[in-house]
Amino acid sequence: MPAPESDFLGVLATFSQHGVEFIIVGGVCGVLHGAPISTFDLDVVHARTPENVERLLRALEELQATVRGPGGSGRTPGRSHLLSASHQLLLTRCGPLDLLGAIGRDRDYARLLSRSQVIRVRPDLSVRVLDLDALIEVKAETARDQDLAVLAILKRTLEERSRR
Amino acid sequence: MMQAMRTHDPSDLGEPSFRTEPTHSEDGVDLTLIHWMLSLSYEERLLVLQSNLRSLRGLGVASTRE
Repeated sequence: MPAPESDFLGVLATFSQHGVEFIIVGGVCGVLHGAPISTFDLDVVHARTPENVERLLRALEELQATVRGPGGSGRTPGRSHLLSASHQLLLTRCGPLDLLGAIGRDRDYARLLSRSQVIRVRPDLSVRVLDLDALIEVKAETARDQDLAVLAILKRTLEERSRR
Repeated sequence: MMQAMRTHDPSDLGEPSFRTEPTHSEDGVDLTLIHWMLSLSYEERLLVLQSNLRSLRGLGVASTRE
């Protein structure tokens, strides 16, 4: 089976159509804030309420999401996984998608909400993204090599934005 | 024998210089790319990212065919 092309807008539009509550974090969040970085997957923190997880499951079915990686390949994510704080690494028909129950130091959807903003990507599509300063904090907390590699670019982007 | 390449500032050649501010930060971040990205709409930023991934994928396909 050929690898699907990354279509971040396709995932976001599907989530929006199903009324999924989520916050975009990670590299795509950095790009939306204007950082010239690259990433292969879309990272989102979803609200872990039973109602939202039901909406999320319907959206994932439409996206043909399956678990990515050894041991899970081909499995579909379950309700209990999405209700937990764990990370679900998925492959969809619109490319890789990571659903994160919490990030950094136990920052879940409810805790991140006050550090996020809604942006209008297209006239018919508005999404919630983590604030850039909060993304920098989370990247510094997580401190994996891949996070540290983009930290300088994110910090400069924040500085340049504040100068405008 | 290979001659050392000499670089010119445009002003040496009587051409206007476009450098009015630093192109890179002290830690080496390309500020021109940040300014360019900030000039784009949200949708355009995502399309740039998707286009980059498509190009990388194309390079991967090309390299496996060599």
